[in-house]
Amino acid sequence: MKKYFSIFKISFQQEFVYRINFIMWRVRNILQIFLIFFLWNAVFSQPGAVVFGYDRAKILTYVFGILVLRAIVFSARTVDVSGEISSGDLTNYLLKPISYFKYWFTRDLSSKALNLGFATVETTILFLILKPVFFLQTNPTLVLVFVISIFLAVFLYFHILFIVNLVAFWTPESGWAFQFLFMVIIAEFLSGGIFPLDILPLAFQKVVYLSPFPYVLFFPLQVYLGKIATSAILVGLITSGLWLVISNLILRYLWNKGLRRYEAVGR
Amino acid sequence: MSRNSFMNVLFQRMAFMIFLVGKVLRFLMFFGFLFFLLKGTKNLAGYNLNQTIFFFLTFNFVDVVAQFLFREVYRFRPLVVNGGFDLVLTKPMSALFRVLMGGADVVDLATIPPLIFAIYWVGNLFHPTPLQLVLFLFLLFNGLLIATAFHIAVLGLGIITLEIDHSIMIYRDLSSLGRLPIDIYKEPLKSVLTFLVPVGIMVTLPAKALMGLVSPLGALASSLIGILGIILAVRFWKFALTKYASASS
Amino acid sequence: MDKAITVNHLVKNFEVTEKKPGLFGSFKSLISPTRKTVRALKNISFVIQPGELVGFIGPNGAGKTTTLKILSGLLYPTSGFTQVLDFDPWEKKPEFLKQISLVMGQKNQLWWDLPAIETFELNRAIYDIGKKDYEESLAELVELLDVGKILNIQVRRLSLGQRMRLELVAALLHKPKILFLDEPTIGLDLIGQQKIREFIYEYNRKNEATILLTSHNMDDLIDLARRVIVINEGKIIFDGALEDLVKRFAKEKIIKVTLSQEIDVKKLEEIGTIKKISFPQVTISVPRPATAVAAAELLQNFPVEDLTIEEVPIEEVIRKVFGSK
Repeated sequence: MKKYFSIFKISFQQEFVYRINFIMWRVRNILQIFLIFFLWNAVFSQPGAVVFGYDRAKILTYVFGILVLRAIVFSARTVDVSGEISSGDLTNYLLKPISYFKYWFTRDLSSKALNLGFATVETTILFLILKPVFFLQTNPTLVLVFVISIFLAVFLYFHILFIVNLVAFWTPESGWAFQFLFMVIIAEFLSGGIFPLDILPLAFQKVVYLSPFPYVLFFPLQVYLGKIATSAILVGLITSGLWLVISNLILRYLWNKGLRRYEAVGR
Repeated sequence: MSRNSFMNVLFQRMAFMIFLVGKVLRFLMFFGFLFFLLKGTKNLAGYNLNQTIFFFLTFNFVDVVAQFLFREVYRFRPLVVNGGFDLVLTKPMSALFRVLMGGADVVDLATIPPLIFAIYWVGNLFHPTPLQLVLFLFLLFNGLLIATAFHIAVLGLGIITLEIDHSIMIYRDLSSLGRLPIDIYKEPLKSVLTFLVPVGIMVTLPAKALMGLVSPLGALASSLIGILGIILAVRFWKFALTKYASASS
Repeated sequence: MDKAITVNHLVKNFEVTEKKPGLFGSFKSLISPTRKTVRALKNISFVIQPGELVGFIGPNGAGKTTTLKILSGLLYPTSGFTQVLDFDPWEKKPEFLKQISLVMGQKNQLWWDLPAIETFELNRAIYDIGKKDYEESLAELVELLDVGKILNIQVRRLSLGQRMRLELVAALLHKPKILFLDEPTIGLDLIGQQKIREFIYEYNRKNEATILLTSHNMDDLIDLARRVIVINEGKIIFDGALEDLVKRFAKEKIIKVTLSQEIDVKKLEEIGTIKKISFPQVTISVPRPATAVAAAELLQNFPVEDLTIEEVPIEEVIRKVFGSK
């Protein structure tokens, strides 16, 4: 246990070295939220408007939900794994008596803690400035399911991100490009990080739901907003868990294959 | 070219292609978002589907062209840090031109024609009068002028403070708020976007011109901002050069 | 445990895709790549006892680093048997990893933006080192390597020599029983090299750690290793005491003189064999036992401005060793 606390601590210190970068990162997050917030604000300018099953309160809660959930789920240092593999710095960690996965997950937790702290402050400030109507979920079961789904989301996202980074074993030069394509573009959109997936026609939604991405952000938020029928909730949780198991198997398989291939290059 | 260096370039190209696919995908996804959104809500701050799409397309055009032309700006900081900028200064070609536009990449160029075609197609749906068309093109050029002024100012800042990446990112994030007509934003953000980082003038205004919402006088006034911007930016650049402390070890 | 390291008939092959020259070749290699097998290690065997300090020497690309990487579990052997401290390195069991350490010249484990002491604390936790052991270890290493003043400075601000010494501290905090050093003196100036060598010698003596170090710098070997294993093109061509290697194969030493005036070259031939002349530099080789006398004669009887005595370059020794097999 002590070793993970140590990793958590040093990762935290590392973030502090790049304070300005971090602050900029938070500023950019807020700017993105502005776009989405005002967009929906304009859509729901008429009081009592209901669009795609959302009313004003719910949609604005969704927007704030994105800000907070992204801090919890998307904040990660695992994005550095592909760089470590390409440069050969992975060698140092292979020599240490520690699980590479647990190491990075701990570092992710450190990043999530830091980002969540800031996101909470930002949400409060934005809430006071923009004064949106807020939807509060009062059903305790739903809140519990919401929390469970967040846990699943965190682990699932970790696995997906790690898998994408392992591509560096096979194409060390293009690691960053794959990461951009998969995580910045595909994951962000298909997880509901830019817009709620229910604005898409049903046929599209069905396709998107075949992927693991909605379970990373959209599904938890829908649970919170109470927009999912009880039967569907159970199905959702099970699918989430199933994707977690599948991605775990893929991750282990790729890791072992990749290690064999890794020539520990770079003197 | 040596065997190795070609393979290197090939791999870099592959990575860049994947990156490009990502950007195209992002465009398509946001486009799809606007499409489905407006299918449901019918209007956004008074604009219908076609108009909203047109704002989006105009933004992308200014954004993509600026990135195509000024890709070299992103490489400026390493250039100054490793002393390469000294070499640039000693060459006969204008240093400003070299660090501003020296890195135009052909691959970026590939994305521009489809955009132009899309703008043409959607713009046509508004049946613009010749005057509106002229105003549109005029203000579009003005928008690019403002973008240029910004990049020059960023370069100047880079010489003085070695801080480029953050300034560019702020610029990119603020200007990306122009994906939608800035009418949707509340004060004081709206004023910031109109006067401070004039995204409104760069993107929203040209699009409005095509829709017949801008008077020639308004266009002229906006162009003053564009011209003023360039003059100030170049002045700032010259000033920054006087402050330049060579980084060679 | 009687043997520290056992290597038996170890073979390691690498599969590389061959890229043919030219435009057409590059496209072809994307669609139907030609694979080539590089035989890095061709059936090598050796045994190392606990506490030995062994030098692993050979030209670049000979297979030294590959061997170290296999012994530390980084690379998977194509065939053969390897055992280190009764473990199979490839399995990378935590108990195994806690007892070994691999230090490679350019692979830094210190966190670049933080002071070295932070990485040390991290390692303390990762290797489960007790508080008392850690403080003792740290104090000892800091003193031996003279890094007390730079522990709290950001690593990126330090010189290469300072970083190298701190890397050694980080690598040894957990008192590994086996230490693999890959080119530990590369890139360092003469003083830096000397310091590292002294440290390695002391460490081996005090802690009875088994040390396997690779180098293509002959001076590293002369000062440190009693036993050397010479490897060339994946094969071991000599395994024994250093004196035997030198005596057997480097029968000569090289004297380089810088002359201040032109002289009759024939006279130089009486002292030794002239290997190269490009005035004012002359390179002569003399039999090893006659070195001191030859140097004295040169200084006395010739207009010598500068004179250096060098060992025959290792590549030449290797060539001779390989040639005689």
